[in-house]
Amino acid sequence: MDTILKIENVTKSYTGHKALDDVSLEVPRGAVYGLLGPNGAGKTTLIRVITRITMADKGRVLLDGKPLTADDVFHIGYMPEERGLYKKMRVGEQAIFFARLKGLTRREAERRLREWFERLGISDWWERKVEDLSKGMAQKVQFISTVVHEPKLLIFDEPFSGFDPINANALKEEILGLRDRGATVIFSTHNMASVEEICDHITLINKSKNILSGSVEEIRRSAGGNNFEVTHRVDDDTLRATLGDRAVIVGESRGIVGSYRQTNIHIRRDDDVRTVIAALNDGCDLRSLREMIPSMNDIFIRAVNGTL
Amino acid sequence: MKKIYLIIAREFSERVRKKSFIIVTLLMPLLMIAIMVAPSLMMLYSTSDQKQVVVIDRTGEIAPQLQSSTEVMFIPEERMSKAEACRTFNEESGIFGILYIGSDVEARDSVQLITNASSSMIIEESIASQISAIIEHKKLLEYNIENLDKILASVETDIELSTFINNGTGEEETMETTSSGISYALGMILGMLLYMVIILYGQMVLTSVVEEKASRVIDVMVTSATPFQLMMGKIIGIAAVALTQIAIWAALVIAASKFLIPAVFSAELTATNDAMMQALVGTLGDTGYIATLFAYVALFILGGFLLYASLYAASGSAVDSVQDGQQFNTIIMLPIILSIIIMMSVFNDPNSPIAFWASMIPFTSPIVMIARIPFGIATWEIIVSLVVLYLSFVLTTWLAAKIFRVGIFMHGKRPTWGELWQWIRTK
Repeated sequence: MDTILKIENVTKSYTGHKALDDVSLEVPRGAVYGLLGPNGAGKTTLIRVITRITMADKGRVLLDGKPLTADDVFHIGYMPEERGLYKKMRVGEQAIFFARLKGLTRREAERRLREWFERLGISDWWERKVEDLSKGMAQKVQFISTVVHEPKLLIFDEPFSGFDPINANALKEEILGLRDRGATVIFSTHNMASVEEICDHITLINKSKNILSGSVEEIRRSAGGNNFEVTHRVDDDTLRATLGDRAVIVGESRGIVGSYRQTNIHIRRDDDVRTVIAALNDGCDLRSLREMIPSMNDIFIRAVNGTL
Repeated sequence: MKKIYLIIAREFSERVRKKSFIIVTLLMPLLMIAIMVAPSLMMLYSTSDQKQVVVIDRTGEIAPQLQSSTEVMFIPEERMSKAEACRTFNEESGIFGILYIGSDVEARDSVQLITNASSSMIIEESIASQISAIIEHKKLLEYNIENLDKILASVETDIELSTFINNGTGEEETMETTSSGISYALGMILGMLLYMVIILYGQMVLTSVVEEKASRVIDVMVTSATPFQLMMGKIIGIAAVALTQIAIWAALVIAASKFLIPAVFSAELTATNDAMMQALVGTLGDTGYIATLFAYVALFILGGFLLYASLYAASGSAVDSVQDGQQFNTIIMLPIILSIIIMMSVFNDPNSPIAFWASMIPFTSPIVMIARIPFGIATWEIIVSLVVLYLSFVLTTWLAAKIFRVGIFMHGKRPTWGELWQWIRTK
C-alpha cells in the first residue's frame, strides 16, 4: 500500500485528560479517509497534531515516509471545524487573500476562484461581506479556500456540519472529484451516511484510542460475521435439518409474498459458506440469499459500546 | 516574506478603508486646532466681562491711585462701613466684590477682598501688586529724593537672555541658539504624540489579535502562514496605518499653520508675544533641525510602537476577549504612564540622572528621550538609546512570538503568569 500519511503511536495529554492514547494509522495515497468517533473522542486533536497546531507528547507523524515538518504543513489544505473568516472583508477579496497566501498569483487565484464560485453557485456573493453570509455559504467559501491551490493532502474537520442535504451532497461530489484528480482526503465526521458513501478507509476513534481501522468494505464484511438472509419455501424444521450443525437460525422466520419465507441464519465457519449455499439450494427451494452487511452506523454504535 | 507582505497589506487596507479611520483622521486635526485655538479665542473674547470692585479705603490715599483695567473696575465708596457695604453690594447688585483697605495697610488682615462669587488668581494678584506698588512709591517719596520719578525711570531695566549651546569653538556665530520655552513645547507635544500613538495603536494590535483568535481565522491561517508571520504582519500593518495617519495629520497641521492660523489670528495678537514668536519662527525655520527632529521622532515612534505592540500582541493571543486582556493591558500601561511622569521632570532638568536613565531604559526611553531631544542632547545618547530600544524590540518580539504561538490556539480560561512562562519555555 502506498502510504501518504502515517501516524505512529501518537499520544497527547492535556491537563488531567488524555486526548490521544497511542494512536497509529496509515492513510493510503489517493484515498478518502474517514476519521470517525463520538464527540470528544479525539478526532480534532489528531487533526490538530497533523497540522502541527498542537504538538504530540509522544509519537511521530510521517508524510511520504519522512517526519512532517513545519513547511510540509503549508502543502496541506486544511478546513478547521470552526469556520473562521474575516467578517468585515468582502468574500472574493478574502478568498483571493487566502489563495495568495497559499502561493497563487493574484490573477491565477481569481481565475480559479471565479470557477469554483460558479460551480458551487455562489458567484453572486463575490462582492458581499462575509458577515452577510449564511453559515452554509461561509462554509462553501471556506471549502473553496481550502482546495483552490490543489493540495495533494486535504484535511476537513466535520465538513458536513451546517450543510443542508442538498449542499452536503454537492460537497460529497466535490470531495470525490478532488480524489479522482489525485488528492488524498482525510475528514472527520460523526455522520455515518457520508462515510458509507464516500470513504474508502476509516479509523474509528473512541475515548482517545484507535479502536478500528481499515477499508470500509473489509470492516463491514468482517463485522457482518457470516450472517445471511435466506428466502426459501420450507418450514423451519426442514431448514434446520438442511443446515445441520454448520449454521443456526437466528430469530423468527417471516412470511413474505406468495408462499416464500425469509429466515436469518448464521454460518459458523467461513469455509462452510459455499457448502451451506449448495445445501440450501438443493433442499429448501432457495429463492435468494443475501449477506447481511451491517451499516457503518451499526458498526459505529457496536464498536463504541464494545460489542463488535 | 511574501506572506508577511500579504498579511501586512490586508491589515493595512482593511483599516485604512474603514469609515472610522477616515473620520478620525480628518476630525482629529480639527479637534487639535480647536484645543489650541480655544484658549486664545477665549482670551480674546472674555475681556468684555469687566469686574466691578467697590473700594472702601480707610487710608484715603490708595483708592484714588488704583488703576482700573479691562479686568477690574474700581469704584471708590467713602461713606459706607464694611458691614454696610457687604449688605448693599450683595450678589444681586451685580458687583463682583468689595476691596477693604484698613488704615494700617501693612497690618495683618488689613487689606481684604470680599467677593460675591469665587475670585481668581489673576484679579487677586493684580490688586495686591497695585497696592504694593502704591505703598512702595509712597514710602520712596517719604525719603524726599529729588527727581525721584526720573531716577526710577532711569533705573528700570529689562534684560533679555539669549541662550546658546557651547560647541567648544568659542565662536558664538556657530553656536546653536536655544529656547527653553520652545523646547518645552516641542518636547511636550512630541512626548504626548508618542504616548497617544503607543496606547491607541498598541490597543489596536491587541484588539486585532483577539478578533483573529475569536473568529478562528487563525485556524484557517495555520496551514498558510506561521504564527510569527501573522503576528509580525499584524504589527507592521498597524504600524503602517499609524504612520499613514500621522503623515496625513502632519500635512494637515502644516497646511493649517501656514494658511489657516495667520488668517484667524490678527496681527496684534501675534505681536504681543513677539519674542516667543521669533524664537518659534527661528526654530521652525531651521529646516535641517526640523528634518533631524522628525527623523528622530519617526525612529522613536516606530521603535516604541514595535516594542509595545509585540507585548500587546502577546497578551491578545493569551486571552479570549478584549475584556480579559485588561489584566495584561494594565501591566503594559504602567511603564507608559511612568514615562509621562518622568517626562514632566525632564522639563525641569533635561540632563538629570533620572531623565538620562529613563531615556536609556527601553520601556520609558521612547517618550522620555523624545521629550529631551528638543533641549539639545548629545547624539551618542540618542544613538545608544535607539540601539537599546531596537534590540529590546527584537527580544520582546521573540518572547511575544513564543507566547503568541501557543496562546493563539488556546481557548477557555485565561492563562496564569505561570502558564505564560511555560508557554515561553515550550520548544
